[in-house]
Amino acid sequence: MNPRNRVLTTLKHEEPDRIPIDIGATPNTAFHVLVYRDVRRALNLPEKPIRIFDFGQQLAEIEKELLEYFNVDVISINRTLEPCAPYPHSWGYRTRDGTIIRVLDSEWKMWSRRDGVIVEIPRYIDVVEAEDGYVAYIGGKIVGKMPRDGYYFWGLDRYGEYTPLAEARNVDDVKKIDWESYRVSNDYVETLRKRAEYLYRNTEYALIFTGAGSLHEWGQGLRGWSRWLSDLRVRRPLAEAVLDHMMDVLKYNVDNYVSVLKDYVHVIGFSDDFGTEEGPQISVQTFRDFYKHRYEELFSIVKRRSKMYIYLHSCGSIQPLIREFIDVGVDILNPVQISAKGMDPVELKKRFGEQVVFWGGGADTQHVLPFAEPEEVVEHVKKLIEILAPGGGYVYASVHNIQPPTPPQNIIAMYKTAYKYGQYPIKT
Amino acid sequence: MSSILDRIRDSVASLDVDSTLSYVRDALNGGFDVKSIIDALAMGMEIVGKRYEEGEYFVSDLIVAGEIFSEAMAILRPKIVESRRGTKPLGKVVIGTVYGDIHDIGKNLVATFLEAAGFEVIDLGVDVPPQKFVEAIKMHSPDIVGMSALLTSTMMHMKVVIEAIKREGLRDTVKVIIGGAPVTEKFAREIGADAYGENAYRAVEICRKLLEKRG
Repeated sequence: MNPRNRVLTTLKHEEPDRIPIDIGATPNTAFHVLVYRDVRRALNLPEKPIRIFDFGQQLAEIEKELLEYFNVDVISINRTLEPCAPYPHSWGYRTRDGTIIRVLDSEWKMWSRRDGVIVEIPRYIDVVEAEDGYVAYIGGKIVGKMPRDGYYFWGLDRYGEYTPLAEARNVDDVKKIDWESYRVSNDYVETLRKRAEYLYRNTEYALIFTGAGSLHEWGQGLRGWSRWLSDLRVRRPLAEAVLDHMMDVLKYNVDNYVSVLKDYVHVIGFSDDFGTEEGPQISVQTFRDFYKHRYEELFSIVKRRSKMYIYLHSCGSIQPLIREFIDVGVDILNPVQISAKGMDPVELKKRFGEQVVFWGGGADTQHVLPFAEPEEVVEHVKKLIEILAPGGGYVYASVHNIQPPTPPQNIIAMYKTAYKYGQYPIKT
Repeated sequence: MSSILDRIRDSVASLDVDSTLSYVRDALNGGFDVKSIIDALAMGMEIVGKRYEEGEYFVSDLIVAGEIFSEAMAILRPKIVESRRGTKPLGKVVIGTVYGDIHDIGKNLVATFLEAAGFEVIDLGVDVPPQKFVEAIKMHSPDIVGMSALLTSTMMHMKVVIEAIKREGLRDTVKVIIGGAPVTEKFAREIGADAYGENAYRAVEICRKLLEKRG
């Protein structure tokens, strides 16, 4: 069975030859650049610059030899290392003051970190060392900061410095930002089509496109995380107005994505974090009031016009919302944060396993993977496989990205176990 | 007919911003002293915290409650200076997100609920290095130091802060409480913290208990 058929079989809730494995196909199932460096070292691979695919989260692009070593079955159509499509995209980066900077996503440069690690980053990003960490610029404008002992570049919204609608008081204020600028460009859409078609024809991997859109997270980005939550509770007309503008953009974007991806891509990914460690950020009723009908509308664009599976990334404790997600057409749920309240994998598989595919939940990256011994990791992974894999409907991935410091031996043990014990029928 | 103070408490508990603010103004105009109004707000906040703890309320509700509380306090602030003369806060808490980490939602909720419960809170913000915690302890002599981290990569920094506090000979002068997504009770014990608070409501309860222990 080839990787693509393996993934498609499990997405149909049937058992393939073994559990398909994802490393690095999404910005939520990947390795931090330092983790990747450590894994390469542990495998006795030579030191070399590490290419990233997500600048903010500093996520490593997994090289072909490691995709093969770890038996990975699915890749992103926007990969920039082999196997990847030879179609760069030139796009206009819009800075805060409205200046457009043309950048090409196939040009790279080396950035030497203070600790000696060399990271291959997009050429248009300049990283400058500052007293309290690193600052990243595009065209002379700050786009993110990394604290001195931190691991990620955080966007300015996280510093309360750039939340475009923070001051909006009424429905008219909401109209003042340039909503058109959020619409996907024809150029980009055409590049996606070419990339998807190329990888469809020239590889045997299942293909995923993530970043199709979000509602809740986008609202939090525009208004501020907390403010948006209180908007939903006490400033309903404002929240509705923001969401209506978002929907105009998202419907346009999703329609375009579907047009170009439908014949080649197997999974289209949306992302909306609704959880905390202890429960959803909002009640089920609030979800129904603001999001359910909107998601239904967006997802129906995908469902009506394609056979692509809908993947939703939503962190944390979201168990009360899973039924709602299934109702609106979510096929695949990630990251399955098994340590959060109400996210017991046994219960999840029993209640929802026949209606939704779990993509993740394969190792607890918060409490187990960074701290356990390799033998404990093996037992942890075996147990989760026994719970989540039977009957198919399961893609193996860690709970979210693997962060430093995590011992590389644990990571290698984790994926080897997923491969070895992931052969169907699963032995219990 | 419930008294105006009961109505303040209940309108906070039911997250009714406009009613709360108008009752607070009514109470002020009616000659109620500021302390009794703040107590009523605090009781409302405590009910909100309990409802969160019981699964009836969500983080979004805690945030609304925090907004109500600070808007009400903005009305009361001009009067507070005179009324609080002679009254002492329940205790003093220095709080911050440890260095390398910039997540502040949980930390801010804890700070708001501590303030509502009558603690004086000195918020050092995010990405706070060990030295800044040490200096804040020297400057403010708090009863409690609260640290937050959202990442497995930065939770270990809490241990470094505790060690810095020890090195300065200040560890016995404060109780240390920690919290954040990956943090557990076990981890708190391992790094030598005094307590772990899993949410804003629990954090307030624990800070109260830590003070009782100190006597």
